[in-house]
Order: sequence, then C-alpha cells, then structure tokens
Amino acid sequence: MEKITIIIDGKQVEAVKDQPVLMAARENGIDIPALCHHPELESSGGSCRVCLVEAVQGGRSRIVTSCNYPVRAGLEVNTSTDQVMKIRKGVLELLLCRVPDSEVVRGLASKYGIDEPRFFKDEGENNRYKCIACSLCTQVCEDVVGVSAISMQNRGVEKAPGTPFHKDSQACIGCGACAYACPTGAISMKDSKGVRTIWGRKFKMAACSVCGKPYIPQAQVDWIVKTTGKDRAFFDKCPDHR
Amino acid sequence: MKAITSFEQLEGYRERVKAAQKKDLPSVLICFGTGCQANGAVAVAEAFREEIERKGLKVDVNVGFKTTGCHGYCENGPLVVLRPKDVLYLKVKPKDVPEIVEKSLVGSEIIEKLVYKDVNTGESVAQYHEIPFYKYQKRIALRNIGNVDPRSIDDYLLCDGYKGLARALTMRPEDIVSEVEKSGLRGRGGGGFPTGTKWRSCRAVDSDVRYVMCNGDEGDPGAFMDRSIMEGDPHSVIEGMIIGGYAVGAKQGYIYVRDEYPLAVKNLQAALADARAMGFLGDKILGSDFSFDIRISRGGGAFVCGESSALMRSLEGKVGEPRAKYIRSVEKGLYDKPSVLNNVETWNNIPVIIRNGADWYASFGTRGSKGTKVFSLVGKVNNTGLVEVPMGISIRELVEKIGGGVLNGKKFKAVQTGGPSGGCIPDSEADLPVDFDSLTQAGSMMGSGGIIVMDENTCMVDVAKYFIGFLVEESCGKCTPCRDGLPRMHRILSDITEGRGREEDIETLTELCDVLTCAALCGLGSSAANPVLSTVRYFRDEYEAHIRDGKCPAGVCKSLITYSIDAAACTGCTLCAKKCPQQCITGERKGAHVIDASACIKCGVCKDVCNFDAVRVE
Repeated sequence: MEKITIIIDGKQVEAVKDQPVLMAARENGIDIPALCHHPELESSGGSCRVCLVEAVQGGRSRIVTSCNYPVRAGLEVNTSTDQVMKIRKGVLELLLCRVPDSEVVRGLASKYGIDEPRFFKDEGENNRYKCIACSLCTQVCEDVVGVSAISMQNRGVEKAPGTPFHKDSQACIGCGACAYACPTGAISMKDSKGVRTIWGRKFKMAACSVCGKPYIPQAQVDWIVKTTGKDRAFFDKCPDHR
Repeated sequence: MKAITSFEQLEGYRERVKAAQKKDLPSVLICFGTGCQANGAVAVAEAFREEIERKGLKVDVNVGFKTTGCHGYCENGPLVVLRPKDVLYLKVKPKDVPEIVEKSLVGSEIIEKLVYKDVNTGESVAQYHEIPFYKYQKRIALRNIGNVDPRSIDDYLLCDGYKGLARALTMRPEDIVSEVEKSGLRGRGGGGFPTGTKWRSCRAVDSDVRYVMCNGDEGDPGAFMDRSIMEGDPHSVIEGMIIGGYAVGAKQGYIYVRDEYPLAVKNLQAALADARAMGFLGDKILGSDFSFDIRISRGGGAFVCGESSALMRSLEGKVGEPRAKYIRSVEKGLYDKPSVLNNVETWNNIPVIIRNGADWYASFGTRGSKGTKVFSLVGKVNNTGLVEVPMGISIRELVEKIGGGVLNGKKFKAVQTGGPSGGCIPDSEADLPVDFDSLTQAGSMMGSGGIIVMDENTCMVDVAKYFIGFLVEESCGKCTPCRDGLPRMHRILSDITEGRGREEDIETLTELCDVLTCAALCGLGSSAANPVLSTVRYFRDEYEAHIRDGKCPAGVCKSLITYSIDAAACTGCTLCAKKCPQQCITGERKGAHVIDASACIKCGVCKDVCNFDAVRVE
C-alpha cells in the first residue's frame, strides 16, 4: 500500500494509491454523498452518479465519480464547486423522478433543495418502487455470496434485478445479502414464524439452540458448510450466543 | 493448401497467381454486397452463369466472372461492372443479362438504358470512374472493395495483400508503432483517438498477455461502412490486426461483429480459415517467431456494445455494460489485460500505411485529421451511399459534388453527422471542413461517419426528438443521467412538437443536457445531448416558433399544422378529393376545393398528388 498525498477541498490529505477518491475523502472526514458504492465491493459504484466531484489532474479538470476514480499522485479534488453541486442536484432530481417512494432518495434530494421534481415521475405500471438499478444487489450475490441467484435484466428504464425468467431461483440461499446491500431498501425480505420470504421463495430458518430464535436460513448454512468447510455445529447458536 | 513459411515463398506464390491470370479478359463483376443481394443480385449472377455457358464461353478462358463486395451505390443495385472497359450498369435485372453478354461482354457496345444518368444535367455516363458519385472519391479504405472476390485470398494477394504484413515482420514492433503514429491515423470508430498513441500506451504496460480487438459492432442507423469492409475486403481487416498484434505484442485477436451482419460473419470466417491455411495466422507466421490468431465474437444487438468497455464485457460473456474508464483499456481492458480496440476501418488502413509508408498516408487530409474517411451519405440527396473522401472536404462539396445536390431541387437545410448522438450542422456552416476537430467544434462529431442530408421540409425539433427517442430505446440503463434523463428530454421534445411547449422548456432541456454531458458514465450518454444542443444552437428560432407561436415552420409536426387549398391555384381537377382517405375534401369539378379541417388527419396525400401546388401547409 503506497501512501501518497493528495488535495481534497484545499486540504492536504494522505491516501492510498489507487483507492477510490470517495474512500480517501471519508477516511479524512470529508463527506461525499453516494448510493451505489459499497466499501466491501471493489466492483461496485459508477452507476448512481451522486458522488460526482471535480478532479484536477495533469492540468485537466473534469467531473468524475469519486467512488471509482483512483487516487494518483498530483490529484486535486473539489467536492462542492458550483458546477458539481448543480450537476449532482440534476442527478438527484432524476433519481427522485424514478423512485419517488424512496425515503433515502427523497431525503438526499431534499438536502439539495428538491422536494418535487420538475419532470414526470415513474408511477403506475412504470413504478420501480425504490430500486435505482444500481446493481449492488447482484454484485453482492455474485462477488461476495458467490451464487449469482439474481442478475440485472433488460435495459434502459426497464433495467432491474431479478431471478432468471422471474421464476424461483434454485441458486438462491435466502441469505438476504442483496437486501442488506441495497442502498434504498428496495428488496423485500420478510422473516416470519421461522420462514424467510425473499425473491418469491420461502426458506426454512435454523433456530439458535440457546434462545430458540430462528436466525439463519438452513440453505445458507448448507452453502457455507459446503463452500468453506466450516463446522456445521458452529451454526447451532446465533451470533448473540456464540 | 500448404502454409507459406517465408517471404520468398509468399512472393513466389503471388507471382504464380499473377501469371495464371489472363490479362484484359473481358470480365463481368457483380456486386454481392448485402444491398445488391437484397435487390436481386443473386438471380442476376445466376443468369450470367447460364448465359455464359449457353454461349459456349468458358469462365477464366474466354471471359472473366466474379462476385465482389459493395460499391457503395446500393440504391442503384444490383450493380454490374464490365472490365477492362470500366463500364458500370445500374439496376440490372436477369432479363437484361443476355443483352449485356451479347453486346457488352462479347461485343463492345454500351447499353444506354443501363448506364447512369445525371439527374441535374440529364447526361449519361457509362464509365465507372467518371460518374460524379465516384469521380470525386479517394479510395484508400475501400481500395479493394468491388475489385476483389471477398472469398478469394488469391484475389487479395493480387492487390498486394499481405505485403504490409511481410514488411511489418521485418520491422521492430516499436518502429511499426512509430510509423502508425507518424501517419497521423486517428480512430475511425468515432472518438478519433490517435491510433499510434493507443498502441504505444498498450505496449508500455508490463504484462505477459495482451489483446487486440476489432470493433465491428456498427450500430448507428444508416451507417454501413464497416459492414461493407468486413463483407467486401475481410483480409484487409485481418492483415491490419495481425500487424497490430505484432506491434503491441498480442497473441490473440478478436473481431466483435454484430450478428445482424450475417454476410460479414460468413466472409470473415472464410477469410480467417484461408489466412490460417496459408500461414498468415497461427504459429510462426511466415517463418517468423511471431504467433497470432483471431477469433470472431458475435454481438447480440445492443447499441451500447459498440462502446469500447461494454464491448469488452460482452466479449467476456458478461452483460454488455460500460464501465468507468478512469483506468483505460490499454492498461486494463479485455480480461483486465492491456488491450487495443480499434474500429474496422482503422484496422483496414494499417496494411497500406505499412506498405506505402506513413508519409504517403499523411499526405492526404488536414493537419489534425490525416488520410481519408468513409462516409455513408444518406437522406434527401440525389446520390446516396458509401463515399470515401480525403479528410477536410467541405460538407457542401460532399452534398453537391458527390451527392449530386438535394433531392427534387429542394433547399438544403442541414446535415446530421455522427450517428444518433451526433449533431446537426446548418446550411450556413456548410463550408466547414469535415474532420474530427471541426465537427466537434461545430457541436457535432465525426462518429462513425454517418451523414444525413436534410432539406427545407425537415423540422429540427422533430429530428432532435427522433434521435433522443432512439437513444431512450438503446440506453443500457446503468447510469442515472442517461437512463432517467433521456426519457424526460424526450417528453419535453414531444410536448413541444405537439403544441404543449412551455417558455422555459429550452432552458430546462439545456440543463438536462448539461447533466448528461457531465455526469453520464460512458461516451454514449455524455454525447447523447448533442442532437438537442446542436439544434438549439443553430435552430433556436424553430423551437421558439413551436413554443410561442404554436407553429412548425417546416410543416412537419402534425399537431401544429393545418392543410388548406389555395383557391387561386386550385384548378378543380378533383384528384385530391378522390385520393383523400378521410373524404374530407369537397368542391365542384373545375371549381376551387376546400378541406374540412375538422376531419383532416394531415396525412399529406392531397399535397403529394396535387399537380398545381395548390395545397398549403401552415
């Protein structure tokens, strides 16, 4: 890990070469709003375009997404120039048109002075609920969980995550990583009476031997045991009682 | 066929093919491009074969016969060329064939009814190279197309094929890169990035594996130069890629070609097999230490896969989506290895640059844009098709000299260049030289070289709406500005064309354009604002007429126009009344007619059929 010094908003800060500017900023207490980036997922980001900043490098200035712009020597970043704020506001207005039901997007847009977009909203049969099509869910499923039960489908405004042919996915283990990763809470996951419902399938939950509370889908236990060789007995107790 | 393992063997083979050729044999060349085949060229070729046999003639003994790639003048197909007299026959039908064989192939008569007639002068021109459409062209990329049978590697060798490769293999790879740099060749796919610089950056990255790729995913509506090259001269692309592979240190190349081009796929496959059999591909090419091969990957039909990073994802078997290119493909491209991706036309230029030298190539074109460029000239112009001209030719020359002027003597209004995310350039700027930098400065772009000519009956707001509509359909949906911004722009443009425009719309559109240009993920998104920005820049008054006056000056937007009949000009011939599908035109014979505006659906039939120019559109 090569440490270098870059400038963010006029301040000299230390950052790791090639790490995303967003991470470098956050590690130095500078906040940049972002939705589609997850620190644990190298492949994530670049989709929502909320984290735009101005990057000046080699005498050239341009608007870039901080979540995947690599830190390199000589870089100067400005997170809130007039132009950055204007374009970010424009992006948020469009996101609000797409997912007017999303509290997260509404809250963020409101911070930038947009309570009601000027353009038509995706409503009625075009309603995407809260999904901003950022694909964090499918990336987690593929890169972290390793099952690829869901993928992004269609293109343009129709783009959305889903199971193959919208049928029950046999690959899904019900772990819910997609729902946890989703920045806008768009994925429905319900646990009730020892059964988890997600992506249209029901998963039987294994209960903790101490508190008796169902806490993990049996299919997820099987998957972890199979892929990591971990002792099955480990899952007898929930994290609170291990 | 035995593989060739040395330069001497290659030249020896070439000499033998040359010697076997009968010089000046009266020959017939039939265009077998996709356009001509669709127009019936297959039946014409069959008729020639039968007629030649019926006459007791023998191919390659008394007469020559071959099918070739596209001549670019597709609207006049099927095209038939007669050599050595260099006569071009247009719109040839099987029933014309016996006469052609009798009079023009065996005899030396010219059949007047089949030759080109200039719409402006009425003059007949029989000689291929004297027809205005061809006369002003400079063919480098299209050098072999129409002359060679794309299925014959011998034909390609007769045109000095693989000489560039042989020369390249005697050079040091870095010297090839320098030669390409010196030629000034810039990427023909749209971006115009200097090819040599791209190659040099790729070479500079430390890696044991590198790739070269050819972008044959031509997706701009109306553009077909890449298809024509892949179909008509596949070996030129393959030779270019082998040279490129040697120069950057790649062992594997890929041609990504859209599956909607079946003939291109077929001809490329056949050419690859021939090149492999002859030792131009495979291990130790021409006896050197260099090994290289090429595979074809067929695209699934998404416009976005013509974008470089999306193309690479698709090649890897993943969903074709762009990625951020802050780390460039020359560093981390296909399978995260250093990669060079060039367009079909770029690769096709490489062999001649190496064969004839960088200085020769750089002698064509302008200071910043060297060489020639193939354009697909379409729209409201007399001669449409593929044309290749030196960079720097003016729009006006293209339209008037080669295109033969605007169709039906109408007024030239604008050209749209650069594909759906290009822009419109007005008549007032028509002396602008066509090169990478001038077009960009004018608010449009070179793109892959589409040029659509528009006349006075074209509404520029409607044009912007059309292209934005195309981009809405083709947006991949990965980033917010493109996915959610374009439909909003389309809605505003629809409102304007349908009479619901508001005063602030132009400003709102410009703001949305700004978000797209600055914040979209890939080149398609960031250039998607061009159709709107360029029309607002040059035709703002037309937007304002729609919004403020509720009028469409070009008479296109149905909600804003009314049809009426000028009583003074109407002769009462009743033709319009008879043809009106709504039966809403009334009047006495020999008396002025009237349109019932409440029933009129503005289909324009009355205007089309009126012989007295009495129908008014306002």
